[in-house]
Amino acid sequence: MKEIKDKMIAQINAAFPEAVNKAYDGNRLDFTVHKDAIPGFLSHMKDQLGFRHLSHIAYVDWIEENEFELVYLLWSPTDKVKLFVHTRIDRENPVMHNIDMIWRQANTYQREIKEMLGIDFPDMVAPDEFILEDWDDIPPFRRDFDTLEYVNRTFWHRPGREDAQDVRETISKRSGEEIPDFAKKYSR
Amino acid sequence: MYNDKNSKKIVETIQNWARSHSVWVLAYGTGCGAIEIAPTMTSRYDAERLGFRGAATPRQADVMLITGYLTVKTVKRVVRVYEQMQSPKYVVGFGSCTINGGMYYDSYNTINLLDRYLPVDVYINGCMPRPEAVIAGLAKLQQIIREGKANGAEKYLENLEWYKENQRKIAPNWIAKAPDLNW
Repeated sequence: MKEIKDKMIAQINAAFPEAVNKAYDGNRLDFTVHKDAIPGFLSHMKDQLGFRHLSHIAYVDWIEENEFELVYLLWSPTDKVKLFVHTRIDRENPVMHNIDMIWRQANTYQREIKEMLGIDFPDMVAPDEFILEDWDDIPPFRRDFDTLEYVNRTFWHRPGREDAQDVRETISKRSGEEIPDFAKKYSR
Repeated sequence: MYNDKNSKKIVETIQNWARSHSVWVLAYGTGCGAIEIAPTMTSRYDAERLGFRGAATPRQADVMLITGYLTVKTVKRVVRVYEQMQSPKYVVGFGSCTINGGMYYDSYNTINLLDRYLPVDVYINGCMPRPEAVIAGLAKLQQIIREGKANGAEKYLENLEWYKENQRKIAPNWIAKAPDLNW
């Protein structure tokens, strides 16, 4: 596995000198690429290095750094190696290149990202609505979207939840058991 | 003779008694609770001995079971299905999600109170209610049908404006395009 990975890293570095590698154990390869290089990088991976399968496009909202991150998860069935390709997108102007000509299934993932995170894919051909219908707020998976505030505004609550207790605290109080430090931050 | 008040009452009593013994449930699972319908209807709990059986289409059904959480998207379809059903029709809210949102009370895409969008005749609480609870709830429905108190459909017609306004609040474009009670 180590030899295969080293060979692949050398090949990728030769073809894309600006791609930043991060070392991981096991069968994981990890590269960070500029967003404009993504279509070329991914099609090179597919055609030349055997990463035939796109497993998923994951997305992260780095609100503190004012950026979105997309992670393309690729899988090579012949070498049994997975490749994570990271890229960052400006949060103010979220536009990304379309890759559904490389993998058809990327169209579905990109529709989800467009709707849930609000990243635009200008040359993607897809119907407007995917998961949400009649949505007129900011995309719900952005971290500045306040779910509870939206619920209070849109739906109704039935009274009776006001005395709801924190499960962890109630149990520890009853049994005299101490909450470990790492768990305290999850209490209400 | 048929038109005089007492005869009408007698006819209605007989009708209600007959209705309560032949309750056809629409086989339409909306949430995770649909998994409890299979054991309720099949040999283990065998609800058919009490007169409940599945119906294939909304137009043949008497009862709609709302089994669990409803997303905004599902509410639209449920309203459409409900309006397709023929009177007499009843709605049974199933599980705590239909009562107060359950564990999804702070989710942006699931509704909290079902009775703002559809008239609910009987609620079955629990997360999930066991088949015994489902049968108890359906038996309660039978009882109120016999007493002539299961009048959710009439309530829906009387307060149509209020229900439609609530539905429009979560689905503005869809309800505006939909015909009123004319699916």
